[in-house]
Amino acid sequence: MAIATAPGRTFEGPVTDQVSRTRTLWAAIKRKPLGMVSAVLIVVLVLTAIFANVLAPYDPLAAQPEIRLAPPSWAHPFGTDDIGRDVLSRVIYGSRISLWVGLLAVGIGTFAGMIIGLVSGYWEGRLDLVLQRIMDALMTIPGLILALAIVSVLRPSTTNAMLAIAMVIIPGNSRVVRGAVLSAKQNRFVEAAQAIGCRDYRIIASHILPNVTAPILILASIWLGNAILIEASLSFLGVGTQPPTPSWGLMLSSTGRAFMEQAPWLAIFPGLAISLAVFGFNLFGDTLRDAWDPKLRRKG
Amino acid sequence: MYKYVARRLAMSIPVVVLSSLIVFGLMRVMPGDALTALMGESGNVSPKELEKLRRDLGLDLPYYKQYLIWAWQMLSLNPGDSIFTNEPIPVALKKSIPVTVELAVLAMILGLVIAVPIGVISATRQDKASDYAGRVAAITGLSLPDFWLGTLVITFAAIWFRWIPPLGYASLWTDPWTNLQQFLLPAAVLGFRLSAATMRMTRSTLLEVLREDYVRTAWAKGLGERIIIYKHALKNALIPVITLVGGQFGTLLAGTVIVETIFALPGMGRLTVEAILFRDYPIVQTNVMLVAVTLVTLNLLVDLTYAWLDPRIRYQ
Amino acid sequence: MPTHDPRPVPSRSRATRREFLKRAGWTTAALTPLLAGRRRAFAQTASPYPDWMPPSPNPPKRGKLLTRASAWDPPVLDPRLTNSVGLSQFAALTSNRLVRYPYSDEAANTTDLTLKGDLAESWQGSPDFRVWTFKLRKGVKWHNVAPLNGRELVAADIKYCYEQYAKEGVQSFTFQEIEGIETPDKYTVRIHLKTPNTMFPQNLAEPVSIIFAREVLEEDGDLKKRLIGTGPYMIKENTRKVRLVLTRNPDYFDQGRPYIDEYQILSTPDAATRLAAFRSGQSDIHFVASLSDAANLKKTTPAAVIQEYKTVQTVFGLALAQDKPPFNDVRVRRAISMAIDRQRQVDTIYGGHGILGWGIPYFYFQDKMPTAAQLGPYWQYKPAEAKKLLTEAGHPNGFETTLFYYEYFPEMSSQVQVVQQDLKKNLNIEIKISKLDYTTFYGRYADGKWDGMAWGFKTGYATGLDEQTYQYMHSKSTKNYWRFSDPVIDELVTKLRRTPDRAEQRALTKKVFDREHDQVTRMWMPYDAGFLVWQPYLRNTGSLALRRNDGYGASTLARLWIDK
Repeated sequence: MAIATAPGRTFEGPVTDQVSRTRTLWAAIKRKPLGMVSAVLIVVLVLTAIFANVLAPYDPLAAQPEIRLAPPSWAHPFGTDDIGRDVLSRVIYGSRISLWVGLLAVGIGTFAGMIIGLVSGYWEGRLDLVLQRIMDALMTIPGLILALAIVSVLRPSTTNAMLAIAMVIIPGNSRVVRGAVLSAKQNRFVEAAQAIGCRDYRIIASHILPNVTAPILILASIWLGNAILIEASLSFLGVGTQPPTPSWGLMLSSTGRAFMEQAPWLAIFPGLAISLAVFGFNLFGDTLRDAWDPKLRRKG
Repeated sequence: MYKYVARRLAMSIPVVVLSSLIVFGLMRVMPGDALTALMGESGNVSPKELEKLRRDLGLDLPYYKQYLIWAWQMLSLNPGDSIFTNEPIPVALKKSIPVTVELAVLAMILGLVIAVPIGVISATRQDKASDYAGRVAAITGLSLPDFWLGTLVITFAAIWFRWIPPLGYASLWTDPWTNLQQFLLPAAVLGFRLSAATMRMTRSTLLEVLREDYVRTAWAKGLGERIIIYKHALKNALIPVITLVGGQFGTLLAGTVIVETIFALPGMGRLTVEAILFRDYPIVQTNVMLVAVTLVTLNLLVDLTYAWLDPRIRYQ
Repeated sequence: MPTHDPRPVPSRSRATRREFLKRAGWTTAALTPLLAGRRRAFAQTASPYPDWMPPSPNPPKRGKLLTRASAWDPPVLDPRLTNSVGLSQFAALTSNRLVRYPYSDEAANTTDLTLKGDLAESWQGSPDFRVWTFKLRKGVKWHNVAPLNGRELVAADIKYCYEQYAKEGVQSFTFQEIEGIETPDKYTVRIHLKTPNTMFPQNLAEPVSIIFAREVLEEDGDLKKRLIGTGPYMIKENTRKVRLVLTRNPDYFDQGRPYIDEYQILSTPDAATRLAAFRSGQSDIHFVASLSDAANLKKTTPAAVIQEYKTVQTVFGLALAQDKPPFNDVRVRRAISMAIDRQRQVDTIYGGHGILGWGIPYFYFQDKMPTAAQLGPYWQYKPAEAKKLLTEAGHPNGFETTLFYYEYFPEMSSQVQVVQQDLKKNLNIEIKISKLDYTTFYGRYADGKWDGMAWGFKTGYATGLDEQTYQYMHSKSTKNYWRFSDPVIDELVTKLRRTPDRAEQRALTKKVFDREHDQVTRMWMPYDAGFLVWQPYLRNTGSLALRRNDGYGASTLARLWIDK
């Protein structure tokens, strides 16, 4: 089935090696201000997640109900939530959860999707037919519904939300990878290698994989944003992360909505955090695509 | 051409079957039957009654038998009743499908109306201020959770304008004015997200097409910018866009779940989610199968249209 | 000592808070010690809203439409199968019971629970309280729809209903104590009980004991599709997940009533949308859970009429799987109870307006709300003692457990998390929280096989004393969700229902209350019953204790009228 997705565009021409790939990316980031912005956002996010325990002024789980629903002040720059926990600290630690959810979900989903796509695309034949039909079947179930069903089966928790999101990612990824593999196979280098009698895994490693990494990374960076959003929606439906975990999605969908009028800061800050993170990942994906997709490079 | 059609059809059928297996499997593996949920509300149903209920619903049969019975029900277009309400599923569907379809269609229209012009502007003025503005707006649209936007809209509509869409769904045929009032805001919320993805797609495909040789020739010939964009480039750029929108249909249906809950619309999304939470298998299975079949058919039609438009594809 | 001003009542600006305190008058004095962080002896702060709405002195106006955006979709229409408020919110208007409690325009005060006749005109109990005779009103007609077609209600109808209730479903425990029912004539129902019960008529007055139609059950095989009764309203339209429309019954036996022509209940699952509906005039009745919510609403909609729904009991508490270890050890339960700072929950989460928490409406055993001291030694916050007791019970390093709940209102989530913190800090008990959707929660909780802890409840409709004690606390009762079995309580509640003397009843009830707190069988948690909000053109509003107008107490809406 030919649903076109921009990242699945195939690359003709000789395979570029890793070093110059990174160089073109760096050049793209420097050249386009939006690319710079996205890179900065992602770096900030990762650093916040890593150094959360240093950056956060308070324990994100320490409840002080006496100062509940306090508006932003010097002591609590983002205010306090419904049981007096410091929102800034929770947002900071929330970056860990979101990053963790995103990375794991996308990591598993991308890796599994890549394996399936590689196997499907390289060896084709009946295995390909069967695998692709299964992937198609999975894709006919709307993502949120599939995730909801899986989480309901596995019991609501952060980990299970991740697994559910990974399942949603796999089919699309596998299809993109398969497309990239199929086009890479047409490359004369591959034909030649096969003619010589090179082992399959060598061919895959040196000729196929490099072609595949670009679309995967682009997709992954966009899915990182989506994963955060899906987790937030699952929390809204009541089956995502569990209290008292400081996940942005849970903060936004439960206390953020409940106290929206009396304490808007409860929703503004986690909401901003989600938006900035998703924004950063999406923009970065755009930049990756602009950098690595030769067709889109502005000529002259 | 016919061989292509036949091949594509043959491939679609296993997909539908596989979807049904996946949905069936998921529903059966869920902890806590529909019966526990039912019992929770009913309280003290005796174990004897529970057994009888289990037998009546066919839940005591081995899984493969249950699957075959259900498959037969689906094929004979007789999906049975909801476990919770005993209402025949076709009745529930007849009421909820029009709501979701209307919501989805309106959202797509609104989305396209916003997205295409912005995408065109972005592409033709690449890397200038309006491009950035467009791209930022689009990515913001993609970054905001649906439920957040929906809640914001309905809360501040009430506070600032003392008005919210009239509650109590009115069908398009019986009361079109009320109906449109009810659907405008939720469709806008849904469409906003859709427009973001579409806008980006429009921009990137248009960018590609604008670099094609035939467009450069048109430039060289001295044709006006507007003619080039609208007559030559956009038409070709729109094909992948339309495919994307078709692909977004699945995402759209997922998005309706949340918007229907917030705006109190009795659509299929809400029906399905509540059925999953209630463990009301028959409804979930039927609904998901319906969506699956629709998507498969849609994809089939799109592919066939492609093949008809672009002969190269037929001979792959 | 906090370095900034602890806010007992969350509000948008300092000015509002000052204004509120000024209006609250004497409560300023009571709140000052609160601001300094000291403990207070009183259980509840007064709110600026009245808890009593006097009936309107003007002549009623007829007609018009009442609408309400409701959170609850009825799961089924069958009163045998569900206690849910989703059904009662309108079943209380389509159907009657044999006896009832006062409506808002005839009650002397909010806790007036004088039994009044509904379908019964009069009733009498035998001296041994085993035989109860009810004389029915004459000329009560079923709704004029097929298959009843407006025929007269007769004693055989009542007999049929009660026998059905006894057979299966949620009411069976209550009705299984009936030995036999006689109907010597068309208008007399004589009920023989297996054991004496001085409060049997109160059981029949519960909002869930409605009289349904035999013909419907016989024709349909169940009551899931049609609900036909004798009440002031008839179901005109029932579109699931959209709306339920009730229309005035012109042949209602209470001549001249109801006043309003049509009552529409709109299915609105989302809380923000319900509030928006009230603000935009699409919903006439609204409910808010906390004082700050009410203040916020009043600010944006000044014309709204807010009534405090008097809190006389708690419905929610920490339920433990106390038929198994470790919670079957009373020392463990007592330790947990002493490790939770409930006063702080009232002061902070409920802004001082909630109650400390107890499970029997206080007016059944005393005139004033219980003070903290009255709740017993194991209610007090004594973390050091708690730790000692838990160590004694064999858990010096605490243990791990789980807690599942459904967020009925946002404050509940706050409470659950604060309790989690308290127990971790004071007893090193690690709780893993599971926040569930309503159906999963209700099913698992009512099933009674769960492990660990739950934020549990007793069903919220119970008004009568027997229901509150015997039906909910007896070890054999199917409504004993707390899974405790205490022979002392069994004995007390059985004796209670055989005691006709009011003063003795109160004494016995107090004993049950004390025993419950001594054994920590149900660990009640702070609660605030909330506030009802009305559009200004409604008259004869007024929700009475234990009978919320938009829910279980909906029968009183037959006396409501609209002045527009």
